[in-house]
Amino acid sequence: MGIRKTLSKEVIVTNFKKIGKLRVEISHSSMLTFSVLTLILLVAFMIRIFPLRWEIETGSLHLSEFDPYHQYRFTEFILKNGFDFWNWQYKNWIDYRSWYPQGVNVLKKSYMGLPLTAAFFYQIISWLGVQIPLMNFCALFPAIMGAFACLAIFFLGKDVGGTPVGFLSALFLALSPSYLQRTSVGFFDDESIGIVALLFFIVFFLRSVEENRSLNSKIKYALGAGATLGYFCIGWGAALYPIGVTAIFVFVLILLNRYTRHLLLSYSLTLGLGLFIAISEPKLSTPYLLTFAILPIAAIFALLYFIEIFSNLKSPKWKLVSLVVLTGIFIGGFALLWQLGYIRGLAGKFISVLNPFVREGSPLVESVAEHRISSWSSIYFDLGIAIIFFVSGFFFILKNLNNRNLFLLIFGVTSLYFACSMVRLLVLFAPAFSLLASIGVIGILKPFITLLKEPPKIFAKKKYGLGSVGKEFSGTAIFLIFIILVTSFVVSPQAGGMPRVYSQAYSPVTITAASLPIVPSDPVREWLDMLDYLKSNFGSKPIHEKVVCSWWDYGYWISMVGNVTSLADNGTWNRTQIENIGFIFMASEELSVQMLKRYNAKYILVYATIDTNGNWFGAGDEGKWAWMARISGRNQGRNPSFDRFVYEEKIIDADSMWVDEKPFGNYTLGFDGVDKNKNGRIDRDETIPNSKGQNSTIFKLMNYARERWLEVNKNQPRSQVLQFFEEEFIAGLNRSAEDSYGGIIPLVCLYKINYPES
Amino acid sequence: MFPKVPDYHKPNKPLIPNGLGVIYVLISATYLLLLHYFVYDISSSWASRALTLAVCILFGGFMGLLDDWIDLKWRYKAFLPLIASVPLITLAKTLGLRTSITLPIIGSLQFGNYYYFLLIPLIVTITTNTINQLGGLNGLETVCPAIVLIGLLTVSSGNATLLYVPLIMWLILAFFNVKGKIFVGNSGSFAIGMTVAAFAIISDVKSVLIISILPYIFNSSLILLTFFFSRKKANVYFDGKKLSSSHRRSLITLITYHRPLKEWQVVLTISLLVAFSTFVALLV
Repeated sequence: MGIRKTLSKEVIVTNFKKIGKLRVEISHSSMLTFSVLTLILLVAFMIRIFPLRWEIETGSLHLSEFDPYHQYRFTEFILKNGFDFWNWQYKNWIDYRSWYPQGVNVLKKSYMGLPLTAAFFYQIISWLGVQIPLMNFCALFPAIMGAFACLAIFFLGKDVGGTPVGFLSALFLALSPSYLQRTSVGFFDDESIGIVALLFFIVFFLRSVEENRSLNSKIKYALGAGATLGYFCIGWGAALYPIGVTAIFVFVLILLNRYTRHLLLSYSLTLGLGLFIAISEPKLSTPYLLTFAILPIAAIFALLYFIEIFSNLKSPKWKLVSLVVLTGIFIGGFALLWQLGYIRGLAGKFISVLNPFVREGSPLVESVAEHRISSWSSIYFDLGIAIIFFVSGFFFILKNLNNRNLFLLIFGVTSLYFACSMVRLLVLFAPAFSLLASIGVIGILKPFITLLKEPPKIFAKKKYGLGSVGKEFSGTAIFLIFIILVTSFVVSPQAGGMPRVYSQAYSPVTITAASLPIVPSDPVREWLDMLDYLKSNFGSKPIHEKVVCSWWDYGYWISMVGNVTSLADNGTWNRTQIENIGFIFMASEELSVQMLKRYNAKYILVYATIDTNGNWFGAGDEGKWAWMARISGRNQGRNPSFDRFVYEEKIIDADSMWVDEKPFGNYTLGFDGVDKNKNGRIDRDETIPNSKGQNSTIFKLMNYARERWLEVNKNQPRSQVLQFFEEEFIAGLNRSAEDSYGGIIPLVCLYKINYPES
Repeated sequence: MFPKVPDYHKPNKPLIPNGLGVIYVLISATYLLLLHYFVYDISSSWASRALTLAVCILFGGFMGLLDDWIDLKWRYKAFLPLIASVPLITLAKTLGLRTSITLPIIGSLQFGNYYYFLLIPLIVTITTNTINQLGGLNGLETVCPAIVLIGLLTVSSGNATLLYVPLIMWLILAFFNVKGKIFVGNSGSFAIGMTVAAFAIISDVKSVLIISILPYIFNSSLILLTFFFSRKKANVYFDGKKLSSSHRRSLITLITYHRPLKEWQVVLTISLLVAFSTFVALLV
């Protein structure tokens, strides 16, 4: 009977209804929010994987640019040796495969945030049974983090101006060309986690200083902010930026008389935890706390404490005493630390960001395109006419300058300044732009959207608000703003009508494009072929048997992918060594081999690009030689090692040494320009040979490869003779003019060094 | 359909739809976008003339919208057009447009890089603001810019296509504006100012522009100088039939100072002045 009753129709129907009640209750608006957000994140991810179109053809994924290969190697090391590597036996892991012969202490020179994160997630997906090569995972990782950053900015935007601002901020960041460039497939570098950490730090910190939150909640968010700040510190050197912005923010709050006890609590917890995590990073360690950029944090901290004590003192006498004591401690402490030499100067890179003109004196920093000062055109080229919404954003936050908006104001202004001082820092400006532009758009749209819901009335102007406007007018206004956004993101005039984001995303990774400034229809194979050659022919040899000298740009490629030993790379750890490599390339063969001997180099590698007529194209070392000359020229009279090789080793006398590129040709390498027809410019046929330039090692090595290509493909006789170098392998030699990449022939050339007998 | 405002220079002050300049902005922008994709060879030039003009018109419309909404202060109005000069500077640099201006008597003035960073922003700011300042009467803010545009069109054969639809659209609006049926509003006024400035730069006919807008410059100078020295604004009185003024603080008040005139007479006088300056510009 019991069973029959249990299986009765009524009971079964009732039970089914109960199951129905188990489903998650979700409102329509939440579902809509979730769907829109998912769509934005999908867009963000899909755009970032555009380079796969070329990678798939090569058979495997590659990393972009140069530094990501170092991060890859570090990640590989962690996976091989475990996550506790920095505490134990590998504390002094010296990688002799780069910066030969002294090698490089990787832990002391690298931030571990990115490799640790990537290794952690790679381990997880491996446990889940997803088996993909680490290189592929690392190549896809930035695209995932790029989408994740859009999620982070959604939360921040939502906090600042509601869900619409959150959506727009996420969309703007997803489509931001400068951020896209550094999070697209293959760009496995610090920025990929740095921007995510920055955004979550701001979300948590702003929540922790909100006035209408419970103390418990404030503490939780302050700890969250501290943790993300610490993560940022161990992941990217730009961590000084959020630290500095936070210090300025709190200082301005004090000036505006907005001090509260909770501010002291949030600030102490956030910065305390953040810096505690930061000093656990071997590269930073405890001296980080005494750097010039961090000390203001302590000063603000002391100031907050002083205000707290001061506000609790009743007697004027004690107030005066405490003021005198604190001032004395400040001045005395600073003087003592200065005298003891504990206050380390800001690292050159950061000083050069604060004061861009410092870079004029450093060709090593200035030779990197991304370290150059951003011009107005690069900002317009990136952002388009949407700049007007960024400006409008400032207007709206100034109208309501609460704590959050004050932080945004400082964030916007400082990031714009830094973006203007260094092209690379446009990536730091991208989230600030996205947020402020979204606030601007929503701020302008809001009254029109509100009025769409109201009956039409007579129009009347009103300060800071639309009195009454017809619905159609509101609709038209909204459409106008939409069209402006379209011209900014979809039909960018500055990019010839092509979506700016598309022109940024739709290009292969650097190695697959061989650094050529074109979008080839097929992968450019030459560098990949050279690295395959190096790996298969020298990879198994001992480190000292496979030393390859190249300009530092290619160091990571040849050591990490080619598995040979390099003398320098993008880490630029050893300035003298880079200067000496510049000397190797710019000096004559006789002098060059003497310097090469010091490094026991076995091979030398150069990269040249020519057009199908054999003229230099400019995307290889023929476009970099001037920097080689300037950087090596800086050696003279400044570096003790130079004096040693001038006077003791007698490699070159001081009079024959150069300071810049001019002695090698004032038109181009190996050629001087003479304005024969006096038309005020040097035409192509107005050049005369420059013997010093044509005698330089770099000229000879590139010219040899150029003539070899003409010999093979156009049957032209070869005249360039090499004294101490012998052709080992030239990738691109057999690429005919018909198979060129849009008329460009890349030649990656490897020469064996034959040292003179004596 | 559009918000209505009273026409103060008509008996009984009838309500007239305002802000129809937005239609000009949207139709012109759409036309220029289509022109870029279907008529011009996209691959021939990296920076697009049609799109740059479209962006400038959109920006002008946007500025007018802001002015209609929050009543922008003059200091903002004066400097906001600087943003619109950025696409024009980019275009001028990319296409390698002339960096000199040829003026009668003076001859050719070579500005070099100053042309991009000083002259273009100045041309955009002055043209947009002066055109916006000469208005308030039926037909005045539409007919006069149309005359200048026609003048520019006649000397810019290569780029004339860019202006066909915008000019037709503006003339239609001008027709209804003269009849007292519509107002173009600030969105229209700023947009047409931006069109004139941007087209002159894109087509490299700056000298024609400078001479054509002399009446505008005179009007703005009069207004600004009077305000600067005496802190007084120009006012024109309407007695139900004619316009008159008790001072000479603007072009309109200057014309109506000696003898009261009907609204259409004032508009005709100023339009003839602009037509004359444009004609002179074309001659020289």
